[in-house]
Amino acid sequence: MSQVEPAVETQEASTFSLIDCDVHNYPNSIEELMPYLSARWQAYVRQSGFSGPGGPTYPKGFAQAARRDAWPPSGLKPGGDPDFAREQLLDEWGIDLAILNPLYGMTALHNLDFANALMRAVNEWTADTWLGSDTRWRGSIVVNANDPKNAAAEIKRVSADRRFVQVLLLVRSSAPYGKRQFRPIFAAACEAGLPVGLHFGGSGNPITACGWPSYYIEDHTAMSQAFEAQLVSIVCEGVFCEFPELRLALIEGGFAWLPGLMWRLDKNYRGLHSEVPWLKKLPSEYILEHCCATTQPMEEPKNPQHLMQIIEMIGRDEFLLFATDYPHWDFDSPDRALPPVIAGDLRQKIVVDNAVAFYGF
Amino acid sequence: MASRGVDLGAVEAFADGDVQRVEAGGRGLVVVRRGDVFYVLRDICPHQGARLSDGQVTGQVAECSLGGEAVLARDGEILVCPWHGWQFDLCTGRSLVDGEKNRVRSYPVRIAAGRVLLELD
Repeated sequence: MSQVEPAVETQEASTFSLIDCDVHNYPNSIEELMPYLSARWQAYVRQSGFSGPGGPTYPKGFAQAARRDAWPPSGLKPGGDPDFAREQLLDEWGIDLAILNPLYGMTALHNLDFANALMRAVNEWTADTWLGSDTRWRGSIVVNANDPKNAAAEIKRVSADRRFVQVLLLVRSSAPYGKRQFRPIFAAACEAGLPVGLHFGGSGNPITACGWPSYYIEDHTAMSQAFEAQLVSIVCEGVFCEFPELRLALIEGGFAWLPGLMWRLDKNYRGLHSEVPWLKKLPSEYILEHCCATTQPMEEPKNPQHLMQIIEMIGRDEFLLFATDYPHWDFDSPDRALPPVIAGDLRQKIVVDNAVAFYGF
Repeated sequence: MASRGVDLGAVEAFADGDVQRVEAGGRGLVVVRRGDVFYVLRDICPHQGARLSDGQVTGQVAECSLGGEAVLARDGEILVCPWHGWQFDLCTGRSLVDGEKNRVRSYPVRIAAGRVLLELD
């Protein structure tokens, strides 16, 4: 990473027509990260034959979980070729800004020091390889959530580069993020003025609350359970009380489950609030004040009007942020994913204004 | 001129700290005695209709910072619904959460000649 703070080049927010809040970039192999690892870890990689954290527990339906047309002609991997991603995503769809979320699973590694080395390497690789390739890319700081103290140090180090616009956590963690052990991460994000993005995936615990399912269809559908558990934990454990300025983006977890969750939580709060005497208002009020959710994967009810009813039930037009999830197979197309019933001011908010406000673009 | 009030019974009929149901004026009421003070509320939770007289008297956990010492305040002044745990201020009948919207009617009482008298409008 450059020692000189790179300038953030961007056009006026008022001219934006589309912001993509969830795009994925991947190192093509461990070799791409080697220049960012110390001699000690380079030797470790070579000797151990380490090629990357984990394999897919659930084969994703398509290789690399990618659209079949997202394999670059260069021979690199989907999400591994910044030039191809620029053409196929940014230029093709007229996207003004896109947030990169590298899903490098270093939290699956039990060796904290190695995971931390990879964490730093991925961030430096993102800055050099992607953020430097086009001014429309924005980055997320990957952190090793299993080592909150060093994660916080990494946030402090990387956030000097303002092209990084959020801290990235994966939703399936070793423990709910509301637990006090994770506070250094939230504190560092707030100190850096960055939101935290909570993204689909992870490695800490089974996808469902009743254990490991068999199929990817279950993995993909049931991931919202993890989002629900995290949100309940973060609210009830007082994270938003301790960090009133904290912003939290729920990324790739859907949003149709939110009204029911807020109703359940508020109802229980009426009878059980004495357990959590640090909360000063209804749990749903914390959620609506501090959180946003990305649209992809769009819930697609048979009657699109039901989607509008869900948004109305959430009760805040500023809640949703558009995302494609490029280059993944479940990519949401900017011209088709939002049904026509989402129109006018609400559509403008979802595709541009809400992201501008939330991320401060 | 003061009203005669509806006689709820002798003072001695209500043990200190007890939660008791009585019928008066065609209404079910819950009576809670705390020393010389009597609280009377309608005996029906505005949430789902449980009898509050099946509930428990407790206090209010005072608001505190995260990880701070949670202190029980106003011990004896809060009635907890037996079904979903909604908590009502015995003095006002208001729920401790959303008390403006969620409240159970409370009634003034007075003691005269060893009797507990309910003041009805």
